[in-house]
Amino acid sequence: MDEKTILELSQCFHCGDPCKKEIISFEEKSFCCNGCKTVYELFSENDLTCYYDLQSSPGAIPKDIEGKYDFLSQQNIIEKLTEFDDGETQIVTLSIPYIHCSSCIWILENLNKLNKHITSSQVNFGKKNVRITYNSKKYSLKEVVLLLCSIGYEPYISLEDFKTGQQNINRSLIYKVAIAGFAFGNVMFLSFPEYFEVGEFWIDQYKHTFRWLMFLFSLPVVFYSGSDYFISAYKGLRAKMLNIDVPIALGIAVLFLRSTSDILFDLGSGFFDSLTGLVFFLLLGRYFQQKTYQYLSFERDYKSYFPIAVTKIEMYGTELPIQVYDIQKGDRLLIRNEELIPVDGILIKGNASIDYGFVTGESATVLKQSGDKLFAGGRQTTGIIEMEVLKSVEQSYLTQLWSNDVFNKNRLDSFTTLTNVISKRFTIAVLSITCIATLFWLVVDPSKALNVFTSVLIIACPCALALAAPFTLGNVLRIFGKLQFYLKNASVIEKLAAIDTIIFDKTGTITSSKKSTAVYEGVEFSESEEILLKNTLRGSNHVLSRSLYDILDVNNIITLDHFEEHMGKGIEAKFHSDSMKVGSSSFVGTTEEMAVLNTVVHVSSNNRYKGKFIFHNKYRKGLSRLFNRLKQQYDLAILSGDNEGERDYLKKMLPTKTKLLFNQKPVDKLEYIQYHQTEGANVLMIGDGLNDAGALAQSDVGIAISENVNVFSPACDAILEASKLRHLHMYLQMSKTAIKIIKWSFILSLMYNVVGIYFAVTGQLEPVIAAILMPLSSISVVIFTTVATNISARKLE
Amino acid sequence: MSVIYVLLTISIIIAVVFFVAFIFAVKNGQYDDSYTPSIRMLFEDELVKDQSKPSIKTKKTN
Amino acid sequence: MEIQQFYYDNKIVKKFLFATMLWGVVGMLVGLLLAFLFLFPNLTDGISWLSFGRLRPLHTNAVIFAFVGNAIFAGVYYSTQRLLKARMASDLLSNINFWGWQLIIVAAAITLPLGYTSSKEYAELEWPIDIAIAIVWIVFGWNLIATILKRRQRHLYVAIWFYIATFVTVAVLHVFNSLELPVSGLKSYSVYAGVQDALVQWWYGHNAVAFFLTTPFLGLMYYFIPKASNRPIFSYRLSIVHFWSLIFIYIWAGPHHLLYTALPEWAQNLGVAFSIMLLMPSWGGMINGLLTLRGAWDKVRIDPVLKFMVVAITGYGMATFEGPMLSLKNVNAIAHYTDWIIAHVHVGALAWNGFLTFGMVYYMIPRLFKTKLFSIGLANLHFWIGTLGIILYALPMYVAGFMQASMWKQFNPDGTLVYGNFLETVTEIMPMYWMRAIGGTLFLLGMLVMIYNVIQTIRRGSEVTDELAEAAALQKVSSKRVASEGWHSWLERKPVQLTIFATIAILIGGIIQIVPTIMVKSNIPTISSVKPYTPLELEGRDIYIREGCVGCHSQMIRPFRDEVERYGEYSKAGEYVYDHPFLWGSKRTGPDLHRIGGKYSDNWHLNHFYDPQSTSSGSIMPSYKWLITDALDKSDTETKMRVMVKLGVPYTQEEIDNAQKSITEQGTQIEKNLYADPDFAKAYEADKKSGGSDFLEMRNREVVAVIAYLQRLGTDIKVQDLEPQTTQNQ
Repeated sequence: MDEKTILELSQCFHCGDPCKKEIISFEEKSFCCNGCKTVYELFSENDLTCYYDLQSSPGAIPKDIEGKYDFLSQQNIIEKLTEFDDGETQIVTLSIPYIHCSSCIWILENLNKLNKHITSSQVNFGKKNVRITYNSKKYSLKEVVLLLCSIGYEPYISLEDFKTGQQNINRSLIYKVAIAGFAFGNVMFLSFPEYFEVGEFWIDQYKHTFRWLMFLFSLPVVFYSGSDYFISAYKGLRAKMLNIDVPIALGIAVLFLRSTSDILFDLGSGFFDSLTGLVFFLLLGRYFQQKTYQYLSFERDYKSYFPIAVTKIEMYGTELPIQVYDIQKGDRLLIRNEELIPVDGILIKGNASIDYGFVTGESATVLKQSGDKLFAGGRQTTGIIEMEVLKSVEQSYLTQLWSNDVFNKNRLDSFTTLTNVISKRFTIAVLSITCIATLFWLVVDPSKALNVFTSVLIIACPCALALAAPFTLGNVLRIFGKLQFYLKNASVIEKLAAIDTIIFDKTGTITSSKKSTAVYEGVEFSESEEILLKNTLRGSNHVLSRSLYDILDVNNIITLDHFEEHMGKGIEAKFHSDSMKVGSSSFVGTTEEMAVLNTVVHVSSNNRYKGKFIFHNKYRKGLSRLFNRLKQQYDLAILSGDNEGERDYLKKMLPTKTKLLFNQKPVDKLEYIQYHQTEGANVLMIGDGLNDAGALAQSDVGIAISENVNVFSPACDAILEASKLRHLHMYLQMSKTAIKIIKWSFILSLMYNVVGIYFAVTGQLEPVIAAILMPLSSISVVIFTTVATNISARKLE
Repeated sequence: MSVIYVLLTISIIIAVVFFVAFIFAVKNGQYDDSYTPSIRMLFEDELVKDQSKPSIKTKKTN
Repeated sequence: MEIQQFYYDNKIVKKFLFATMLWGVVGMLVGLLLAFLFLFPNLTDGISWLSFGRLRPLHTNAVIFAFVGNAIFAGVYYSTQRLLKARMASDLLSNINFWGWQLIIVAAAITLPLGYTSSKEYAELEWPIDIAIAIVWIVFGWNLIATILKRRQRHLYVAIWFYIATFVTVAVLHVFNSLELPVSGLKSYSVYAGVQDALVQWWYGHNAVAFFLTTPFLGLMYYFIPKASNRPIFSYRLSIVHFWSLIFIYIWAGPHHLLYTALPEWAQNLGVAFSIMLLMPSWGGMINGLLTLRGAWDKVRIDPVLKFMVVAITGYGMATFEGPMLSLKNVNAIAHYTDWIIAHVHVGALAWNGFLTFGMVYYMIPRLFKTKLFSIGLANLHFWIGTLGIILYALPMYVAGFMQASMWKQFNPDGTLVYGNFLETVTEIMPMYWMRAIGGTLFLLGMLVMIYNVIQTIRRGSEVTDELAEAAALQKVSSKRVASEGWHSWLERKPVQLTIFATIAILIGGIIQIVPTIMVKSNIPTISSVKPYTPLELEGRDIYIREGCVGCHSQMIRPFRDEVERYGEYSKAGEYVYDHPFLWGSKRTGPDLHRIGGKYSDNWHLNHFYDPQSTSSGSIMPSYKWLITDALDKSDTETKMRVMVKLGVPYTQEEIDNAQKSITEQGTQIEKNLYADPDFAKAYEADKKSGGSDFLEMRNREVVAVIAYLQRLGTDIKVQDLEPQTTQNQ
C-alpha cells in the first residue's frame, strides 16, 4: 500500500492508528472510529485523561464482543477462574496481552475510578496480567471483563485457564543462592583473620569461636543449598553415568568432612570459605542460566487457543453457554463473529467465511456454504453461523494431533550435555590421580596420605568446569533474547549447534501472514469503476476486502448511494447509475472456472464480469539469501499444508536442492521428521501454526515464528520474531561459537585444576590456597565466557 | 579485646535479622515482579489535583 | 475492604524541611567560624565556649544530625506515605519525633560549647542526651514500622527497605557505642577502654556514616530521582541487589579507621578487605542512579532538582571510590591524620548529602505549597556557587593533605627529619586553609540563596494542606488465599515485626554478652609498668576531654620511622587499658601528644596555654587563658574514681579516700616547678598580694591538672623495659 498517504492521514488520538475512513472529531481531538472516541469520553468523564499524558495514543480499538463472554455468568466457570472468593469479594487474575506501556499500568490500576465496585487492581507488567479485586455482591466477573473490553483491554481467557489453577512459583533456588551467599559472606569474614595473622595473642583467643561459627554457617549450605548436587549425583550414578555433579558432590562432602575434622582436632581453620564459596558460585551459575520470559509460554497446545465455552442452541431455540469439554456429537452450536470453532462439524445455517490463521498461520479466509464441513480451530469472520457437532473436542481433526505420544514423552534426558560428556573423563582422571597420590604417600609418608587424599578431591572439585556452560549459555540466551529470539532454556543452544537438517513450514513461516499481494486478471477498469471499486471495498470489514482495499491505490472518497454486504458471499454497491459486485464467483455470477489453488475475489461492474484478483502469499524479506547461506551446511526442506499453487514460484526463489512437499497434514509433518531422525539427522523445525505443533514437538529443536510475540505460538523450544527469520543462519552460527567458548573455558579451568592438584598431591594445600584458587578460577572463567560471548555476539547486529 | 565478641554477636545478629527479612520478602512474592513497582511509584495519586503539578502530566517526551 | 480515603501528612514534612534549612545554616556557620579559626586562631580569644575544640563537635553534630538528620526525616516522611499509600501511623509520634529531635539538637548546641562531651567522634553528646536520642529514634522507627503495617500498597518499594535498615542499624550502633557509666548529670565514662573503645567507636563511626549518611539517602535517591526525572529507575532489580549486598557488607568495615594503630593487625586487615568489597555495591547504586537519567539530559539541563541530584550521585561515586582507596593500608599510611580525610568527608557531606538535600527541598517545597518555584534562575545560581564551593573546598584540602603527609615523612640524609618542627608543616598549608574558608563561604551563600528562593516561593504559594488520596486496604487473610497462592499470605507482615523483635533481641543479647566480657579484666594483658592515672591527672584528662583537644591532637603514634623519630616510641595496646574513653584522635592539626610527657617543662606548658604563639611562633592553637584563671572542680573526683573502679581500673579504696590529698600534693609539686621560672614567680607573687583573701592558689587551678596529665602521657613504659611486654600485648 502507499506509505506516504498513510502518514499524511491524521492519527487517532486514542489508538494512534491512521484515521483511514472517516475522521471523528471530539474536543478538537481526532479519532479513527467511534470505539476509540467512546473510550476517550469514558476516561475524560472519570478524570482519567492522564492515560494519554503518560504515553501518547496508547489505546486499542475496543472490539465488538456482543455475547462473547456470556459463559462468564456460569457459576462453575467463575469458580475455576477466580483465585479467591468469600462470597463478598472475588479476586481474579486476567492475562491481557495488550499491556505494553506505563499508561496501561496506570489505567488498569485505576479501574476503581471507572467502577466503584472494583476495589483494587494490580498489574504485573512482566506477566502481562492484572489482578482485580471486586465486590462480587454488586459486580460480576462478566461485568469486570466487559468493562476491560470496553476500554480496549480485552482479557485473554482460554481453555487453559480453565484447566490449570494458580501455579505456585518455585523459589527454592533463590533461597538456596541466598543462604549460600549469606553464609559465604560471613564465613569469609570469619576466616580472613587467620589468613592475615597467625600466633597473634588475640587471634589465638578467638580462632576457636570463629571456626565453630564458620562450621555453623556451613551446615545449611551443605545440607540445604548443596542438596541438589548430592541428589543429582546419586541419580547419575544409579543411571550408570558420571555426570558433572558426581565430582562436585564428592568435593562438597570432602570439603565439609575435612574442614570439620580440622577444627575438631585443631589442625587448622578448615576450608569452610572455599566450601560455601563453591556452592554459592555453582548455584549462582544455575540461577543465571535460567532466563525466563514471563509473558511467553513454550508449552502451549490448542487449549490456549480455544474458548472455555460456546453457545449451544437447545431444541426450542433457547441459547445457553456450554463448556467446550461438554460438547457432544449432534449438539447445535452458535458461532458468533470473531469466535473460534472448537470442534469439527457441519455448517447448517448462515454463510461462513472461516479464517484458519491459528491453524495454518495464513489469514486468508475460506468461504463455506451450509452443508460444508467445518474444522476446529477456524475463526468465523463475518456474521453468525450455526453448526452441528460431528466430533467432540478431543477427537476433532486438529486436536487429536495431541493424542500423539510426542506430546507426552519427555525428550530432555535423551540429550547428554557437553558438560556431562567432559565430566565423565574428568571424574575418572581425578579419581585415578587421587588413588595414585594417596598410594604414593602411603608408601613415602603415611601420615600425609589422608591429607593428600582429601586435598586432591577438594581442589579438583570442578567448580569452574561446572560454571563454564551455565554462564556461556545463559549469556547467549540473554543476547538472543535482546535480538527477539527467545529460547525455552539453555540446552536448546547446545541442540541448535548440533543441527544438520532444517525444515520450514510454508504458510505464515516463510510467508508473512498479514501482507499478501494480489494480481488482477481481466478487463481493464475505467476511471469511474476504479473509484467505485475502492469505495465499495471501503465499506466492508471483510478480511479480503480490507487487504484488497490496501492494495489498490487511494482515490478520492465518494459517498455511495447504496451499499450492501451479503454475509459469506460478497458486497455490492451503487453510485449514480453504476453498480458493482465484489465477492465469490457465484455471487458475482461468472460462469468462468475459478482457480482452485489460490484465494480469489471476483469483480463485476453493472453486472458485467470484469475479472478476478488472485491473492499470492508474500514471502518474507531476504528469504532466498537465507536459504543460500544455509544450503552449504544444512539439508533444507519445506513442508506446506497448502496445495501446490506456489511450487514453481518457490522453485525459482530457493536453492535447487531444497525439498518441497505440499498438502502435508499435521501428522504427515510429524512423521516426515521422525523418518529423518531415524536416519540419524538432527532436525530443526521452523513453523508457526497449530498444525505444526506436532512437528515442532517431534523435531530436536522446534522454533515457532511469531509476528507478535505477545500473540500465542504453539509449544516449541524457541520463539523467533518473524522479521528476524532472515538472521537464522547467524543464530545457528552463534550457537556453534557458544559451544567452542565452553570448550575453551574447560581448558582454562583445567589449567587451574592442574595448579591446584600440584599443591594437593605434594601435600601442601593450605586453606588459603584453596580459598584463592577456587574463586579465582571461577571468576576468571565467568569473565572469559561473558567477554567471549559478547564479542562474538557483536556480529549478530 | 573481649569487645570483639560483642561486635561479632551484634554484626551477625543484624545480618541474620536482615537475612530472615529477605527470605520472608522473597517468600511473599515481594520480588516476583521486579519491574512494575518502579513504574507504579511514578504515579501521583493525590485526588485534589491542581493542573500545574502532577509530574506525570509533563510526560509528553518519549 | 472498600476503597478508603485518607490524607497525606504534609505539615510534618514542612516542619522537618524548615528545620533542615535552619540547622543547615547554623551548622555551616559554625563550620565557617572553625575554618576561620584556622586562619585567626585567637578570633574568639578567651571565650571558652567559642574555642575551636568545643565548636568542632558542634559543627559535626549540627551538620550530621541536625541538617542531614532533619532532611532524612523530611524525605522519609514525604516518600514513605506516598510509597505505602498511607498516612503516617500516628501524628503524635510524628510530632514527638520532630520536637524531640529539635530538643536534642538544642541540647547539643548548649552542652557541647559548654564542654560537656564524651569525646567520641559523632557521639560526643553526654549520656542524658544519648538516652533522649535513643528514645526519639525508637519513636521514629515505631512510627515507620506501624505505617508499614497499615500500608495500602503491598509491595515495599526498595526505598522503604533502605529506611528500615537505617532505623534498625542506627539504633543498635548508637546504643552500643554509647554504653557509658554516668559520673554526674552531664559526665560519664565509656565502659570500654583504650583499644576496645577505639574499635567500638570506629565500628560505630564508620557505620554512622554508612547507615545515617548513606542508606537513608540512597533510599531517598531511589525515590526522588525517578520522581523528579519522571522515569523509572534504570534497573529495579539492580536496586534490590544493591540494597541487600550493601546491608551485608557495610557492617564490618569499621576497623579501616584504625590502620597501623595498636589494633590487632588481623582486625585491621579485615576492615580493609571489607572496605574494598564495598566498592561494588556502592557503585552499583551510583550507576543505577545515573543511568536512570540517561537520555534525559535535556531535562537535567533545565531542571535544577535533577542538576543537584546528578552532582550528588557523582559525589557519592567519588566518595565511595575514595573510601576503599583510603582504607588500603599504604594509602592510609599517608592520608590518615591529614586534611585529605577532611576533604574526603566533605565531598561526601557537601555533594552527596548537601546537594541531594537541596534537590529534595527544590522538589518538595513547590509541591507542598501548591505552586511553582519562585525562581529557577536563583536555583541555578545556588547550584553553580554550591558546586564551585565544593571544588574550592575539596581540592585545596587534598593538596594540603599530600603536602602535610610528605613533609611529615621527609628525612635528611643524616637520618633527621627535614621538618623537625611540626609547625613548619602547618604554616606551609595556610594558603589551602584560606581557599577552604572561601569555598565554605560560597557553599553557605548558596544555601542562603536557596532559603530566599524558598521564602519567596512560599509567599506565592498556598497554605500547606494535607493531600487527599484514596486506595483500597489490603485484604485480610483467608485460608483459601493462602492455599491458592503464596503471594499475599499473612507472612507478608512478618519481616516488619521481625525487625522489631530482632532489635530488642539484639539489645538484650548484646547487653548479656557485654556485661561479663567488659568486666573481665583477665583477658586484657596489662603492661606491668602501666598504672592508673593519679586523681589530678584524671581531672586533667577530663579537662583535656572537655576542651576537645582530641580534635587536633592524636594520641596514637604509628610504627613508622618518621613518627617514632618525631614523637617517640610507637604506641602499644597495653598503654591504654585505663583510658575511658580512648583519646587516639583522628586528625593532627597539631602534633601527636602520646609521648608529650616530660618533653617540656611545666612552665613551657603554662606559657603555651596562656599564649601559644609566644612559645611556638606561627602556631594556630588558640590560647586557653581560662584554664589558668579558673578553679579546678575537685568535687567529683572520688565519684569518678569509683566509676573507674567499676570499669575495672584498680584504684584501691585507700587511694580513693586520699584523692583530695594526693591532688593537693601533686598540684603543689607542679606549683613548685613553676617557680623555676623567675618571671612566673614575680607575676604570681604580685597577683597573690593584690588578690587578697579570695586569691586562688595555682595548685587549685585547672591548668595544673592539665599539665599533670600531659606530663604523665606516654611515660608509663620506658623503651628499654619494653621488649618483654611487646610480645605479650601485640
